[in-house]
Amino acid sequence: MTNEEIMTAPIRWRRYFKWNTDHKVIGVQYLVTTFIFFLIGGVLAMMMRAELAQPGKDILDGAQYNAVMTNHGSVMIFLWIIPVFAGFANYFIPLMIGAEDMAFPNLNAASYFTFLLGGLVMMGSFFLGGANTGWTAYVPLSIIAPDGQTIWAVSLILVGTSSLMGAINFMTTIVTMRAPGMTFWRLPLFVWGMIATSLLVLLATPVLTTGLILVILDRVAGTVFFDANAGGDPILYQNIFWFYSHPAVYIMILPGMGIISEIFPVFSRKSIFGYRMIALSSLAISVLGLTVWAHHMFTSGLNPGMRVPFMITSMIIAVPTGVKMFSWLATIWDGKISFTTPMIFALGFISLFVIGGITGIFLAAIPFNIHVHDTYFIVAHLHFVLFGGSVSAIYAGVYYWFPKITGRMYNETLGKIHFGMNFVGTLLTYLPMFLAGMLGMPRRVADYAPEFTELNLLATLGGILLAFSTIPFLYNVIVSLAKGELAGSNPWRGLTLEWQTSSPPPEHNFESSPLVTSGPYDYGSAEGAQELLELAPAAGD
Amino acid sequence: MKERSILALVIITLVMLAIGYLVAINVDVMPVAASSRALLVDDLARILFGLATVVFIIVQGALIYAVVRFRKRKGDNSDAIQYRGNNTLELIWTVIPAILVTFIGIYSFRVLSEIEVHSDDEMVVEVIGQQFIWQFRYPSYDVRTQELHLPVGQQVRFEITTLDVIHSFWVPAFRAKRDATPGQVSELVITPTELGSYPIRCAELCGVGHSVMNSLVTVESEEDFLKWIAEQSGVLPTPDLEETGSIPAETEIAAEPAQLVGSSIFGRYDCGVCHVLDDAGGFGHVGPTLEGIGETAAAREPAVDARAYLLKSITRPDAFVVAGYSAGSMPQNYEDRISSEELEVLVDYLLTQ
Repeated sequence: MTNEEIMTAPIRWRRYFKWNTDHKVIGVQYLVTTFIFFLIGGVLAMMMRAELAQPGKDILDGAQYNAVMTNHGSVMIFLWIIPVFAGFANYFIPLMIGAEDMAFPNLNAASYFTFLLGGLVMMGSFFLGGANTGWTAYVPLSIIAPDGQTIWAVSLILVGTSSLMGAINFMTTIVTMRAPGMTFWRLPLFVWGMIATSLLVLLATPVLTTGLILVILDRVAGTVFFDANAGGDPILYQNIFWFYSHPAVYIMILPGMGIISEIFPVFSRKSIFGYRMIALSSLAISVLGLTVWAHHMFTSGLNPGMRVPFMITSMIIAVPTGVKMFSWLATIWDGKISFTTPMIFALGFISLFVIGGITGIFLAAIPFNIHVHDTYFIVAHLHFVLFGGSVSAIYAGVYYWFPKITGRMYNETLGKIHFGMNFVGTLLTYLPMFLAGMLGMPRRVADYAPEFTELNLLATLGGILLAFSTIPFLYNVIVSLAKGELAGSNPWRGLTLEWQTSSPPPEHNFESSPLVTSGPYDYGSAEGAQELLELAPAAGD
Repeated sequence: MKERSILALVIITLVMLAIGYLVAINVDVMPVAASSRALLVDDLARILFGLATVVFIIVQGALIYAVVRFRKRKGDNSDAIQYRGNNTLELIWTVIPAILVTFIGIYSFRVLSEIEVHSDDEMVVEVIGQQFIWQFRYPSYDVRTQELHLPVGQQVRFEITTLDVIHSFWVPAFRAKRDATPGQVSELVITPTELGSYPIRCAELCGVGHSVMNSLVTVESEEDFLKWIAEQSGVLPTPDLEETGSIPAETEIAAEPAQLVGSSIFGRYDCGVCHVLDDAGGFGHVGPTLEGIGETAAAREPAVDARAYLLKSITRPDAFVVAGYSAGSMPQNYEDRISSEELEVLVDYLLTQ
């Protein structure tokens, strides 16, 4: 079937609303659902920024603010960033390794619907008072919170279970279903990123589930696992929580780094610099990432003697992250860079993520950490990592693979407007927060001292810009889906396997099982580039 | 060519060092420093900012240079010159960051050891957190207050506890913070060095009133401190003693008009942090307003009269929850803290409002 035929065939919408075992359908289900949750999380964020634009109580009272803040964090982490990468991984892992589908197609569909159920249960928790303890849900506050807290904890268990099913599937698929010739050292770096991520999910998620079950038991069954007055231990909860939730940061950034590693070579027409080092640094980050959790507890009731080892591991983890940053810079160095929307989002990723990365070292330094812990400095740091980093990478991935998924090109001008608003908005929203935190503004407050007014107003203005930046994006997606230029199978002249089949790919991905004879980024080599030129005519900028 | 690039490298390194140094000595992003510990933490922050600026400029500089210099020319669809790696380069950008973080780690450890040194003549102050107020107890004077005063230059050991959920005792001007964790006594050592008043803020989300859980620490001379302590314990300070020649009796509660006592009990238990009541200086919005509560209390629960309603609302806060407010926001321990006499007077007072 040619591209023309695929595009003129009626889009089979119904399969997206049903149990479907095609990994591409499940990928799209994940991508669209998570983006809707992103918009919900964004509305919650704007409610907070509206409340915080000026000191004093404006639109939310303390309880409402806490519920909005808790669910903003939970939605963005558990219903947007973590699962959106499951969407990309579902769609592209089989394509990138030359497989027909995932190893366990039914488990794959089950994972999506468990996620969807978890998301709806979390939304439902609002009707029972909502969780209002922050996404960290520290005991004993989370024990005495309203009923919504129990429902919220149940939703996290569902979403975590979905995440586990996904990780099992990704690992099995990558290990057992690679096309002939697709050795581990020929895997695209996004696939390497998903290996590192899946290992973390498999090792850490069950621990969070355990913690949440204990919280639910303390809440509804009258147990006292975390009740200090009855021999329980609130610090135990913090250890359990961060044992998952710090690795979760890497679960949220490693796939994004993988996407960045796909994009730089394609749009620089150059092989990735230090392929093995980038792949291994993902594994190093994932192993080290399991050993740094207590740096979230430097001011807590943790025994002070336990802080220094965690400072050391937290410092060391900067090294593999630095290796990635410098390897990316060396990849674009001497390249022939074309400034497509995915490429500028990837360049923006470097620019913003480096701010989050450097401030991470500040936070590993215990004496500085003690001052800024639980302040707006942390809020700024984590948003540079997760918004400047992960979300930039997600947008880069959406634009990069939009032609493959839909068969049509997006509009470059709108894409660049989107990037501009997103980049400026990110800086304007989060830079002032560093200053507010150091000067004395705690996080998770519904109100603040008047001295922080200017900084908060700036952040709110930046937030408004970020909110509006989704308009050109959505408009672009909807209009391009209907009338975008036909993309052809390989508009970017990429070498990875997903570009060696039609857009969108046929039901079993490839007309015949591909035979892999070279690496994913072997630009400049006779076989790589030449072969491709025959396969697909180059699309203009 | 090679000599030129070495020269360029040397110049760039020197410029970077100069920029890092200038940033480190000029950066001014911290609040006023009012403890010996703050100065050490600020020095660490300066070094972090200096190094961060250098790394920031190198990465952003390389990025901008590459973006400007290595643009694809129009019509050129060929691939770029290929190189897949460079062991020297990769070694350099692994080892240099490793050395930098080792340096930061060792320096941080030294600062940490220095700021947490105990001394023999520490003054102990107990810090007790509860939703949504701080209380301070001076065991050596047997004084319990809701504002913190400290003598300048005297090392203090805070012993931090909580009556309910986790709070975090933070004095930004001291660069000091420690959580109040149930079942634990957490320690924090500081030596205030600058006279003045500085905010105390709760840094750990503790419920609906988290953002109002603030207090003030006043650092003052030792004489002023002792005078203040004496006022708190109801005994006038020694200089006054000499003038009058006798120790004044403690003020009798019954000697004051009921109205005044009611409002002072309201103040003593920090009701105003969460409830508006102009007459007694209440300003908070965590709980419902108490303006006109004398009338509204009667109407709230058909089966309960106003007095019983108020009594129960103080001792069992979740028994009746006003629409729009949440159960669990008010401390549950007023029954233990307020004597029954005080409670009677307080309720009488509220009924007149």
